[in-house]
Amino acid sequence: MALQSSTALARRPQSFTQNWSAYAFLTPALIILFLSLLLPAAATVVMSLTDISFLRPTNFVWFDNYIKLVSDSRFRQAVGNTAYYTVGVTLPTMALGLLAAVALNGKLRGRIVFRTIFYLPVLTSLIAAAVVWMYVYEPYSGPINGTLTQLGLPPQPWLQSPNLAMTSLIVMAIWRDFGTAMIIYLAGLQDIPKDIYEAARLDGAKTKDIFFRITVPMLSNVTFYLMIILIVQTFQVFGAIYVMTNGGPLGSTETIVFQMYQTAFGYTEFGYAAAMSTVLFLAILLFSIIGTKIMRRGES
Amino acid sequence: MSDIAQVAAPAAPTVSFQQRWWPLAERAIGYGLLIFAALATITPFLWMVSTSFKTDAETFQFPPNFIPNSLVWQNYIDAIAGPDTGRQLINSLVFALGSTVSNMLFCALAGYALARMQFKGKNLIFALVVGLLMVPAQSQIVPVFLIVQRIPFAGGNDWLGNGGTGLLNTYWGMILPTAATPFGIFMMRQFFSRIPIEYEESARLDGAKTFTIFWRILLPLARPAMAVLGVLSFQSAWNDFIWPLILTSQREMATLQIGLQLLQSGPDARWNVVMAMATLITLPVIIVFLFAQRYVIDGAVTSGVKG
Repeated sequence: MALQSSTALARRPQSFTQNWSAYAFLTPALIILFLSLLLPAAATVVMSLTDISFLRPTNFVWFDNYIKLVSDSRFRQAVGNTAYYTVGVTLPTMALGLLAAVALNGKLRGRIVFRTIFYLPVLTSLIAAAVVWMYVYEPYSGPINGTLTQLGLPPQPWLQSPNLAMTSLIVMAIWRDFGTAMIIYLAGLQDIPKDIYEAARLDGAKTKDIFFRITVPMLSNVTFYLMIILIVQTFQVFGAIYVMTNGGPLGSTETIVFQMYQTAFGYTEFGYAAAMSTVLFLAILLFSIIGTKIMRRGES
Repeated sequence: MSDIAQVAAPAAPTVSFQQRWWPLAERAIGYGLLIFAALATITPFLWMVSTSFKTDAETFQFPPNFIPNSLVWQNYIDAIAGPDTGRQLINSLVFALGSTVSNMLFCALAGYALARMQFKGKNLIFALVVGLLMVPAQSQIVPVFLIVQRIPFAGGNDWLGNGGTGLLNTYWGMILPTAATPFGIFMMRQFFSRIPIEYEESARLDGAKTFTIFWRILLPLARPAMAVLGVLSFQSAWNDFIWPLILTSQREMATLQIGLQLLQSGPDARWNVVMAMATLITLPVIIVFLFAQRYVIDGAVTSGVKG
C-alpha cells in the first residue's frame, strides 16, 4: 500500500498534487482576511463615494464627502491632533526603547527583571491602563498632583486643560509602547556581529562613539520596521481617548478615528466616516513613505 | 632617561585611575537611570494595586497615601459581585479562546502552505498577506461592522444579507474578524521556512499525505512559534475593547473590558472598586506572559523581524 502510493506520487507531476492541498490549507485564512481586511478596505473606498446611512436610501454622491472634509474645520483640527500625537509618541518611544535595549543587552545583573518591568505595560489592556492613568492624573487625589503639592509645586489639570490633555495622553502612550520597542531592538541587537564591537574597543573607541557609529547605523532596518508599526498604530488611536477624555476638552484630543467613530455610530453617517477612513489610510501611507525617505537619507 | 621617567610617572596613575573608576561610575549612572525608569514604569501598577485596597474615604484623601492604611478586600468582592461580571467573564473567555485557537490553526495552515508548497499564485498570495500587514485595521471597523451585519442567512438575514442582524451580538461575529491575521500567517511562514526540509522528505518517502506530514511532524516542531502566536492572540482578544464595543449592543454580550469601562463611567463609580477590577483583568495576561516569557520575548521578535 505504501509502495503503491509512493510510486503514484513519483509518476504524477509533484507540483500538481501539492497545488490543490495548498489551496485547502490557505482557504480558511484567506476567507477571514478577505472579510476582515480586503473587502472592508475596498468597501470603505466605495462607501466614501456614497451617502450611505441608516437614515435614508443610499445615493452616489461621488466626491462630495471629500469636498465636505476639506472645509470641515473640526476634521482639520482632528488631523492636526492626530499628527501631533503620532510624532509625540513615535519618536520618544523609539528613543527610550533603544536606550533600554542597549542597556539590557549585555550581561547586566537583573536584566531579566528590568525587561519584565518595562514590558508589563504592553500586556495591560488599553482600558485597564486608561482607567488607572485617569486616576494617576486625577487633579484632586491623584499621585502626580499629590507629589507636586508636597514638593511645593502647583498641581496641574492634566486631562482637563486643552493645552495639557493631548500631552498627558502622549505620556501614557509612551509608557505603554516603549516595551515593544525595547523587545524589537533587543532582537535587532542580537544580529550585530560581536567582533565589530571588539574591534572598535581595541581601537580605543568610546562608548558614545560605539553607540552612534556602530549600534545606531546597524539597527537602521529595525528602526524602520518599528517606525512603521508605531505610525500605523498611533495614527489609529481611539480607545484611550474614548475612555479618558471623550475628545475634549474643547476638541483638543479629537483624533481622526475618534471622529470617524462618532460620525459612523453616533450620527450613522457611514459614507462620511468612510471618507475619513480613506484619508486616514492615505495619511498613514504618506507618513510611511516620508519616513522611508528620511531613513534612506540618513543611511547615505 | 630621566625625561621618560618624569613623563611616565604622573601619567601611569591617571590612566589606571580612569580605567578603574570610570567603568564603575558609568555602571552606577546606568543602574541609577534604569532603576528610575523601572520605578516610573511600575508606579501606575503599584498605584492601581494600592488603591484597590483603600477605603472609599482614603481614595479622596489629599495628598494621597501611597500605602493604604488597611487592606480592604471587600473592594475585590464588590468588583466580582457586580450583576454582569460573571457573564462578562464568560464572554471574554469565549472570545479570547476562540480567537486564539482559530488563529493558531488557520495561520499555521496558511503559513505552512506559503513556506513549503509549490502552487500557482503563491507569490501573489504572499505579497497580498504582506500588503495587508499595512492596512490600518482599526480604521476598518465601520465596514467590518456592516459586513458582519450582512452575513447571509445569519440572524434572520436573507441570502443577500438583508433583513436581520447578521452576526451582531454573537460570539461568531466577535471571533470571525480576528480569527486569522496577516501577522500570524507571516510569522508562521517565517518559522516553517527555517525547519530543515529533510523532516518532510523522509515522511513523504514513507507515503504520508501532506496533511499528515503537517499535523504529525511539522506542527509539533513549530511548538515555540505556536506558543508565541497563542499568547499574542489571547492577549490581543482579551484586551480588545473597540471591536466588542461596536459589535455588541446587548448587555449580556459585553466583555470584561467593556464592563470595566462601564464600571468606571457609571454614576456611582468608586475608584477602589474600579482599581480592584482593573487588577483582576490585568492579572491573567501577566500570568500567561510570565509562564511563556521565554518563548514570547525570544520568539515573538525573532520570528517576526529576523525573517
